[in-house]
Amino acid sequence: MVTTEVQPMILLKNVTKIFPGVQALDNVSLDILPGEIHAVLGENGAGKSTLMKILSGIIPKDAGEILLEGKKVHFSSPAEAIEAGVSLVQQELSLIPSLSIAENIFLGRWPVRGLGIDWDKINRDTQELLQRFNIQENPQTPVENLSVAEQQLIEIMKAYSRPTTRVLLLDEPTSALSEEEVERLFGLLAEIKKEGKAIIFISHKLGEALRVADRITVLRDGKKVITVAKEDTSEEDIVFYMTGKRFKRSEPEATGEQAKKEVVLSLRNFSSDEFSAGVNLDVYRGEVLVIFGLIGSGRTTLAQTLFGLRRSKGEFLLERKKVHFSSPAEAIEAGIGYIPEDRRESLVYDLPVFANITLASYQKVARRGILNLDWEYATAQKMIQELQIKTPNIFREVLYLSGGNQQKVLLSRWLVSSPKILIMDEPTRGIDVGSKFEIRNLVKNLAHSGITVIYITSEPLEALEMGDRILVMRNGKVVKAIDNPQETTKSDLLALASGIS
Amino acid sequence: MGAKGTSSADKSSPTTNSSFSIKELLLRGGSLVGLIGLSLVFAVLSPHFFTLSNWLNVFRQVSVVIILASAQTMVIISAGIDLSVGSLLALGGSLAAVAICYWGWSLLAGALLGVLVAGLVGLATGTIVAKGKIPDFIATLGMLGAVRGIALLITGGLPVPSHFTATELTGYLPAGLIWLGSGDIGGFPVSMMIAVGVVILTWFILNRTTFGRSLYAVGGNREAARASGINVDRVKALVYAVSGLYCGLGGLVLVGRMNSANALMAEGMELQTIAAVVIGGTNLFGGKGSVFGTLIGALLMGVLANGLNLLNVQPFWQRVINGLLIIAVVVFDQWRRRVLR
Ligand SMILES: Nc1ncnc2c1ncn2[C@@H]1O[C@H](COP(=O)(O)OP(=O)(O)OP(=O)(O)O)[C@@H](O)[C@H]1O
Ligand SMILES: [Mg+2]
Repeated sequence: MVTTEVQPMILLKNVTKIFPGVQALDNVSLDILPGEIHAVLGENGAGKSTLMKILSGIIPKDAGEILLEGKKVHFSSPAEAIEAGVSLVQQELSLIPSLSIAENIFLGRWPVRGLGIDWDKINRDTQELLQRFNIQENPQTPVENLSVAEQQLIEIMKAYSRPTTRVLLLDEPTSALSEEEVERLFGLLAEIKKEGKAIIFISHKLGEALRVADRITVLRDGKKVITVAKEDTSEEDIVFYMTGKRFKRSEPEATGEQAKKEVVLSLRNFSSDEFSAGVNLDVYRGEVLVIFGLIGSGRTTLAQTLFGLRRSKGEFLLERKKVHFSSPAEAIEAGIGYIPEDRRESLVYDLPVFANITLASYQKVARRGILNLDWEYATAQKMIQELQIKTPNIFREVLYLSGGNQQKVLLSRWLVSSPKILIMDEPTRGIDVGSKFEIRNLVKNLAHSGITVIYITSEPLEALEMGDRILVMRNGKVVKAIDNPQETTKSDLLALASGIS
Repeated sequence: MGAKGTSSADKSSPTTNSSFSIKELLLRGGSLVGLIGLSLVFAVLSPHFFTLSNWLNVFRQVSVVIILASAQTMVIISAGIDLSVGSLLALGGSLAAVAICYWGWSLLAGALLGVLVAGLVGLATGTIVAKGKIPDFIATLGMLGAVRGIALLITGGLPVPSHFTATELTGYLPAGLIWLGSGDIGGFPVSMMIAVGVVILTWFILNRTTFGRSLYAVGGNREAARASGINVDRVKALVYAVSGLYCGLGGLVLVGRMNSANALMAEGMELQTIAAVVIGGTNLFGGKGSVFGTLIGALLMGVLANGLNLLNVQPFWQRVINGLLIIAVVVFDQWRRRVLR
């Protein structure tokens, strides 16, 4: 029997999981109460996702017990977990791109009327859900047309709307969301909580976790460090639990005085099919230009167009020469690199870590088409140390790395290929606090060394910290170029981006 | 609350320590374990099986399949599939034979012609796949028929050299060509050495060249490959061209072995090559695999056919067993993947 008055919704006892070369979970015990929002925190590779996958029947545990409302359960598939009431929203999005929003949400449980599927009901229910989440989309829109953030919200709706759901597991639900959507999500979580359901959620944004969670559990290297009530802890303490170190939060380094203003890239009336109006823009060598905007503001489209992934119109000057890219290969050749918002667009999961790190450079190093493996191994080894990528070795397939470590592999790829201009779309997505800090410094150092960085973000604080200049976009247009971000505030940025002044 | 699976909880909780080594062996060894196991079974059942001459015989039988399956491995790793390998083999072999026997070309010129034309047709197929944005399956299925037709047109549907045209012959198949298919060096079949050479070459391409790396990248995640600066269309076109060259070479070996070219030779061989690739553990959806696996897959099928022959199993039954083997291996492979996760 459990000593607490309320019976825990979920009780984990000594759950252990070993992967080849890694102990992902080491005797983790945990209780989740009904009507509780429970945050699980930890560094990249700490074992958070593994815990969620075990709870939801995706992978088996090696040892330990799981009790659901006091009854011992063993889920050998996600279907069993869902039937018992445990629904997971995975870290990596897993909707079916070609199906519509409605079809995705009701996938596998389409209501039947007579002999056919009751499409009216599906669309009606979906419409209702969309309204509740305040998403302006048609239920019949194919999911592939949605932004990453919208897809994330749809995934959560899908899990939540299953009638059996009593426990909702959210693996980094907010990593792709901008602040406004996070608020919307939290509003909804509060409602779900009132229904007496339990929510476990993972995040690398500690402030957010502290605000919304009732209790917090910290994992480190597969072990549980502590479970504390929100009231009894602070951000600094949590960082300490996560890393075992006390961090002196050094002030964000003031960016170097902008030396010679040499224009490397300039756009005149530049647009793609999706843009309503053309973009005019000058980017200087060695600066970090932040592009700030909310979802649907056209930042990603602009980046993709610059990189040759989309058809462009208008003038594009690179180092004063007119260029036109019809494929990424041409853009890379001209010295442009691009880290997409969704790492699945860029990682080859079945290739080992080293090959992913060198994927944009191995051809340059190869002679007459023969790979230079020594160089590849040495480079990968160096990047693993530099970015502290957690992997047993460089030969492990990227598939088996934790989400944050996958993101670091992707970053390494472009650090290795050292382009003249590096476009980064939400590069610190899914990266833990400590590493985030390091990566931001790394980006600044890159800029100091003369590489131009175009840094896309929807976190206003990150924009203010990183940008030598900030460009605010809305509806496919640049609404404002801010030349000295020091004199701007977070609320200014948000107002500009949302168009409410 | 009707939580499913509560009853089965204790019994089925995985234990990792019991019978660990055998399971591990099956998991890691994969089809090699199958090949060894099958060989042991036949060795017990038939005294003729475990003799050097029988093994060389197996090799002679499968050498052409190995050559073609090596090509198929590269294509499948790049997330394609080449259904035209058998037809390309027939085209290359027939053309070489016709050039040598009827047009008076030298062995070398004729052989080069056969191999190059097969390579060019492969390149054409690849270009159609890449530029036309047509599924690989459809493009190569079309080629399977079309190329076979061209081979029939070239040979007039007759064997080359043929009894009917014997009087007009400018020459018979040269000894050098026959040597490729049936000759020995120090007691070992030349065809076996060519096959092994092709496997090693393929391993080199896959693991040591930028082209090979690109094949894995394109097969694993086409978009990611493109976003990393790989020219996906070119890689796709080239892999079919390389496949064509391999088929041409296979054609020479097969003509040499049969002492005659025939536009209908190697019919259905595409399926054997795909089976060898899949048995060898290469992912049919692309992105991962190895040519040594394919070698073992081809040998496994060869050993099975050979063993069943030695045991005088009816040919009809052999087909049934062969088919079931493929399914069994893939089921096993699925299990393996699930457990290894
Ligand atoms: N299928 C797998 N095979 C092998 N190792 C794995 C597998 N899945 C996870 N791991 C390893 O287990 C450890 C924990 O991974 P997990 O994904 O749980 O981390 P996480 O806490 O979710 O990290 P992140 O914040 O980066 O998402 C990592 O070292 C990871 O490399
Ligand atoms: Mg994770």
